[in-house]
Amino acid sequence: MKNLARRIFFALATFFALAVFSFLGVDALPGDGCTALLGRFGTAQKVAECRKTNELDKPVLVRMGDWSLDLIKGDLGYSIKRDLPVADVIIPRLRNTAVMAVVAALIAFPAAVLVGVRLGRFPNSRLGRLTNQFSVIAMTLPEFVTATVLWLVLSIWIPIFPGVNVVPSNATIRELMPNVWLPALTLATVIFAHTMRTMRASVMSVKEMPFVESARLRGTKERVTVRRNIVPAAMPPVLSVIAIDGSWLLTGTFVTEAVFNYQGLGRLAIDAISDRDTALILPIILFGLAVYLVASLLADALVKIFDPRQVGAV
Amino acid sequence: MKTILTKPVASLRSRRVKPLVLFTITFHGFIAVLAPFLPLASTDAQDSGSLLQGPSLEHWLGTDSLGRDVFSRLLHGGRPSLLIAVAATLISAVAGIVIGSLSALAGGWLDDALSRLLDFLLALPTLILLLLISSFFGQDPFILSLALGLMYLAPIARVTRSTTQTLLARDFVRVARMQGAGNLAILRGEVLPNVGWVVFTEVTMQFTWILLAFSSLSFLGLGASPPTPEWGLMIAESRSYMTLNPILVISPILMLASLVLAIQALADHE
Repeated sequence: MKNLARRIFFALATFFALAVFSFLGVDALPGDGCTALLGRFGTAQKVAECRKTNELDKPVLVRMGDWSLDLIKGDLGYSIKRDLPVADVIIPRLRNTAVMAVVAALIAFPAAVLVGVRLGRFPNSRLGRLTNQFSVIAMTLPEFVTATVLWLVLSIWIPIFPGVNVVPSNATIRELMPNVWLPALTLATVIFAHTMRTMRASVMSVKEMPFVESARLRGTKERVTVRRNIVPAAMPPVLSVIAIDGSWLLTGTFVTEAVFNYQGLGRLAIDAISDRDTALILPIILFGLAVYLVASLLADALVKIFDPRQVGAV
Repeated sequence: MKTILTKPVASLRSRRVKPLVLFTITFHGFIAVLAPFLPLASTDAQDSGSLLQGPSLEHWLGTDSLGRDVFSRLLHGGRPSLLIAVAATLISAVAGIVIGSLSALAGGWLDDALSRLLDFLLALPTLILLLLISSFFGQDPFILSLALGLMYLAPIARVTRSTTQTLLARDFVRVARMQGAGNLAILRGEVLPNVGWVVFTEVTMQFTWILLAFSSLSFLGLGASPPTPEWGLMIAESRSYMTLNPILVISPILMLASLVLAIQALADHE
């Protein structure tokens, strides 16, 4: 328990440090909401006026204080460039990314666990080695390559899915669905490979352990041994990989969304960076950070909760 | 001392590096260095009379949407990423090894502080920061190499730290201490010569991740800038013409994939 409290404290401290670092960093970039809005037409006087009305002329520490107080009250700030509250811009995009993440997770995780158990039991089968090599490739290649290949094959050569996404960001989920598949498959390929390789390695080490041998010697059927002994003992490291990969599905989607022009959070981040909308960039960075830190806490906790040897170690 | 030193060397000799891996790496090394000296078409010469052509005697892999020679651009296309990746990897290797071994040798509060610093670096949202840096400071190769080098040093530092810690508990280090060697002498004489192989593997892995990060950045339009031939950028530029001339997209993908997979196969112990 004490250990967990310590971990949570360090996660909060890391979050706080990174939040301050990000605020100051984004602030130090040349340009702010006013220069973004006025662009090339902004005379020094107009920019100064705009800064005054939007309270951007206050010292940076005062603004950071105000911003954090607003954040605690649930106000994410205001995008001068888009003339909208930040929350109104971010929430529909977050929903789109979440839909894609759920689809990718449902495709990848169950399949990865099943295939991983199979390959862990029979690592030297020909199909097993082939699948394993494919996974190494899928893990290594960057998403823009995987995405482009999937697009070429599943949209152009065999036209199953639409390749060009023209659905607006606030479309209903039903309208969105046809466009979810290709980006979700791209993400699924990557996390399938990670999770499957971990499951495979875990099963390979667990199946040699004495308690599995003893179950076999007692004459338990192989099917039952796999279900009752091998899989539960092999799961903990896989659960922590699932936690980390799950967080990646929400925060690591820039490239994939850019390839398919999918209107999610990652696409928004790239747009915000290219039109210098700093008010949007900060909440997106902090969201990513929070998700990552929660996931890594969860990953550690899951190992301890589900590992029979570490029960009570939380 | 002998066992630790000879083991990695022996394993390097006995690890039968597959000929295909060696060939691929040599091939990429050669073209990266020699591309400007080969008798190739210019990478920016636009032949407006033949846009998006298939392979021909004049243009071996055809032409892109501006009528530029794809074969020549392909051979030049690895250079920008390799150059940045080499520079960034040098930075992250030096900084990572210094931080990691210092952390292990000093222990105490310095070790704690450096470990927190590494946690901080690992939690950084790498790609979004790179996009920000590149977008606001221009696509400057020096700034990008430095940023990449700093962002990717944490895994190297961690591996160095844990390897050094195990080494420090060994007898030969104790003997050196008893002979009166100071921390610096131990670092130089005992630790650094022995962390070599493990750290080298990690550095090689980070090299490929840095290479891919820069390619992704180029793909998003914020790494190499046009008209520089760069594989990520070439893929991005030709995606709209995928139906007309798939070679434009497939050839840079094959180059990038073969390079990265070969380097990883070299580093991987499996």
